[in-house]
Amino acid sequence: MEPKPKFKAVGQPLRRKEDERLITGRGQFTDDFSLPGQVYAVMVRSPHPHATILGIDPAPALEMPGVLGVFTGDDLAADNWGQLPHNPVPSTKYDVKLTGRGGTPVYIGEHYLLPRDRVRHVGEAVAMVVAETRQQAQTAAEMVMVDYDPLPWVADTQAAAEPDAPRLWDALPDNVLVDSIFGDIENTDAAFAKAKHVVDMHYHLGRVTGVPLEPRASLGHYDPQTDRYTLYAGSGGAVRQKHEHAAVMGVNPDQVRVISFDVGGNFGTRNRAFVEFGLVMYGSKKLGRPVKFRADRSEAFLTDYQGRDLVVDISLAIDENGKFLALRSKNLSNVGSRCVSLSPLSKGSGLITGSYDIPYATLHSRAVYSNTMSTQAYRSSGRPEVCFAIERLIDKAARQLGYDRVDLRRRNLVSPEQMPYTNAVGSEYDSGEYEKNMDRLLELGDFVGAPARKAEAIKRGKLYGIGFSNYVESSIGSPKERADLIIRPNGVEVIIGTQPAGQGHETSFAQVTADLLGVTFDQVTITLGDTDVVTAGGGTHSGRSMRHASAVISLAVTDMIAKGRAIAAEALNVDGGQVEYEDGVFRTNATNRTIDWFELSRLAASLSPDHAGGLKVRRDNEMHTPVFPNGSAMCEIEIDPETGSLEIMRYTTVDDVGRCINPMIVHGQTHGGIAQGVGQALWEACVIDPETGQPLAAAFTEYGMPRFDNMPSFLCEIAEVLSPTNPLGVKAGGEGGTTPAPAVMISALEDALLEYGPPDVAMPFTPLKIWSEIQKGKAIAATKQQGAA
Amino acid sequence: MYPFTYHRPKTIAEAQQAFSEGMDATFLSGGHTLLPTLKQRLAAPSDLIDVTGIPEMQGIEEAGGFLKIGAATTHDTVFASPIVRRLIPALSGLAGSIGDRHVRHRGTIGGSTANNDPSADYPSAVLGLGATVITDRREMASDDFFVGLYETAREPGEIVTRIDFPVPDIACYAKFRSPASRYSIVAVFVSKTGSAVRVAVTGAGASGVFRLPEFEEALSADFRPEAIAHLTVDPDMLLSDMSATAEYRADLIRVMARRAVEKPGQIQSFK
Repeated sequence: MEPKPKFKAVGQPLRRKEDERLITGRGQFTDDFSLPGQVYAVMVRSPHPHATILGIDPAPALEMPGVLGVFTGDDLAADNWGQLPHNPVPSTKYDVKLTGRGGTPVYIGEHYLLPRDRVRHVGEAVAMVVAETRQQAQTAAEMVMVDYDPLPWVADTQAAAEPDAPRLWDALPDNVLVDSIFGDIENTDAAFAKAKHVVDMHYHLGRVTGVPLEPRASLGHYDPQTDRYTLYAGSGGAVRQKHEHAAVMGVNPDQVRVISFDVGGNFGTRNRAFVEFGLVMYGSKKLGRPVKFRADRSEAFLTDYQGRDLVVDISLAIDENGKFLALRSKNLSNVGSRCVSLSPLSKGSGLITGSYDIPYATLHSRAVYSNTMSTQAYRSSGRPEVCFAIERLIDKAARQLGYDRVDLRRRNLVSPEQMPYTNAVGSEYDSGEYEKNMDRLLELGDFVGAPARKAEAIKRGKLYGIGFSNYVESSIGSPKERADLIIRPNGVEVIIGTQPAGQGHETSFAQVTADLLGVTFDQVTITLGDTDVVTAGGGTHSGRSMRHASAVISLAVTDMIAKGRAIAAEALNVDGGQVEYEDGVFRTNATNRTIDWFELSRLAASLSPDHAGGLKVRRDNEMHTPVFPNGSAMCEIEIDPETGSLEIMRYTTVDDVGRCINPMIVHGQTHGGIAQGVGQALWEACVIDPETGQPLAAAFTEYGMPRFDNMPSFLCEIAEVLSPTNPLGVKAGGEGGTTPAPAVMISALEDALLEYGPPDVAMPFTPLKIWSEIQKGKAIAATKQQGAA
Repeated sequence: MYPFTYHRPKTIAEAQQAFSEGMDATFLSGGHTLLPTLKQRLAAPSDLIDVTGIPEMQGIEEAGGFLKIGAATTHDTVFASPIVRRLIPALSGLAGSIGDRHVRHRGTIGGSTANNDPSADYPSAVLGLGATVITDRREMASDDFFVGLYETAREPGEIVTRIDFPVPDIACYAKFRSPASRYSIVAVFVSKTGSAVRVAVTGAGASGVFRLPEFEEALSADFRPEAIAHLTVDPDMLLSDMSATAEYRADLIRVMARRAVEKPGQIQSFK
């Protein structure tokens, strides 16, 4: 057992190492790379939500100036290029096991880089045009003649699940690809039968998209000399991309190098391979020139992987003392036209009982195909949806049954004594002090003072709402991570396979490494994002990076200390057992001499040529056990009843992230996470025209983004209940901002609009919708008054 | 973008010549509508004639009881101008409320007026102040200038060179922005000169900017918010889209008109 490290850097709000590079324009984003002789790819995209491709005539486009090639699905098939292996079914030991009907395997529709049979959503790429300039390629793309035979289509989640809905895949009898039941049906039924109260709810948490600031881009280069492909493409993990593209091409992964340095936002949208990534490599091989693609903003709105889109029917059985007895939930997830990830459905499925001790639950989880862009795990995959369900249902129960909403929650929260707690669908919550979080939040947010603030606002002619939500979420993610730890005389390098998109890994990982090795923060650099250097790694998603990185770095440091001890013994000419190590320094009782890591590295190089490049340790770690970040959030809003305008007056959170490595970074991520959750509640929606199937929000003029002037100054506090599942006790941060945000916003909205009746329209609650709810409420009140008169 | 030839004339005469020589020429000022349209390949002019380099289309002056603003003057210049602030503070405020800082440093008053986007701010001030639109060939009253959605009385090749605003006793502006685009869903410009009141609405009209005679009459008789509190607007003539239905816009016009009059001399922006 090594002595416990002394935390000096860990826990400090250190300035980010990457910021100077980023704010002085020295970031290396995909489109910043250009190669000699590079040419440009533009996609020909489907205008139809669903259509048979009768034929594609590239001839007129090929005659256009500068055009080098037009490629279709037939070309790819002729060259035996295969499908994108998305592996959508979550597969760690702790993920719920989703299946098709009757336990059959989930049917995954084919996903070639370009389709040959049909288009299945508006914007689907059907051909790639490559030309000397982007402008020439754009003009030629308009000349590619695609003969479509339009088919009936379905975009709406519930409509897609109907047995007679237009079908996307002939191999399925309908569009339902997942149909699984979890929990204890018998005991749930029994609990509902004896329950004093049953409260239920139906809602649809709609479709949104991630809108990363940097549009997705790719630059592919095939080198016939080495028979290797190089792909510059920002993603959520270059190693995953390398393996998936190698599979598409049918080549050995060693023949593919993926470079992903700075990434301008991800939020999950970049965690699956995009067809344009493979296509630029195909174009490069066919044409002998590097090929570049960059999505414009409309392409990003239409064809970035999207998020959410879950329909829930939920009911809760409650006894005469306000104790929850059982829960039933039916969750229906819209995967879009191709199944790239079932994470949203799966993650949510394991958390339907939320932060509450509900002995029995049954869950019917289904997923459907539809003629829309595919969905993917988006910021806090699957959790805001189920958090919304349970928290809104509890608010409704409190109102219906006459309980105080905080009190009703208090009666049912999972207690610290129950930890680790296995919920009714089998998720084991690792640790947490839920009631303490809630109480701290109420104190921090001055919950008792809220009614006075409400009264004051009402005096000014405003409506005032107070929203509240607890949450628990899970951080699972890809189970494997690797770290290469290298100590050279001039510093420490850690090579690791995560992929930041603004999260500050170069800083927080350096903080951990510095403290574990007993060196200073400035002496550590983190290397990421080039698969010729980073040989393995799970990427960044599901809040896994800090936890996996700190765990594998801890293990690497342990190995390094053992290695260092042996080398120090050799250098000091003593037995290994006589060398003591503490806080970055090796010593013996025999002499006064001490050796630090950097001197040791120098000495090692002189002792053996093996150490010429520094002391090196490669460590792999596999960690399946999930952690469960948790917390509470409240907000207060003011509504102008004449216009429906809404202003957030206060927003307060308490988030248990486990050990917090850098509070400044965690707060920053929480703030962004809140904005994303609030965005979905109030403005954001990928609206599809019900008449034509055309997406209506393909620009910032239609897709409402959260902006800084919509947000108050957040009051966020970190609670550190260390997780027993990993060396540093890390859980995860940032997504906890998003998880309760839709629930807390709609809770506040409902509170503000109470006199007009509970709002029953879908998010986002734009000023138009709020105004409409007020008008409806007024009309109902007027009718009642007339009736009474 | 499709290829085009770019011109930057130094005089109005050069601009006219470039237009007459172009196959399908169009004028470029701030470009905030035109450039996105070109980038989306929704328009393919043969020639772009940039009028922002023409000195006689720049500048702000007070003359003959009018505030005269060159058509190629940017929103930011109008916003920052001490002359505008002194004579028509609501016009300065309106200019300062357009888009964001980047937009205000490129967009121009003439471009916005000539383009007549139904959501643009300036047409409401031009109409609401009863301004005169000066072109390279004539002068037009604002009541005659705005014709319909993106449509004005301008003839092909006619260049808006200046806008002359009569100076009112008081003017005010209240706007409600779309949460997504931040363009006005409804914005109301009110001016009072002697007993004459003009009320112009932008953001909402199915045929672009328009006046509200009933509101004008009521306010001419009594320039107080109470005078228009009972008035309503017919939704039939209004736009309906994702961010606002016609009914919502009709109600917002009523609210914004009242709020504008509640704070004479000021601009108010709601979202």
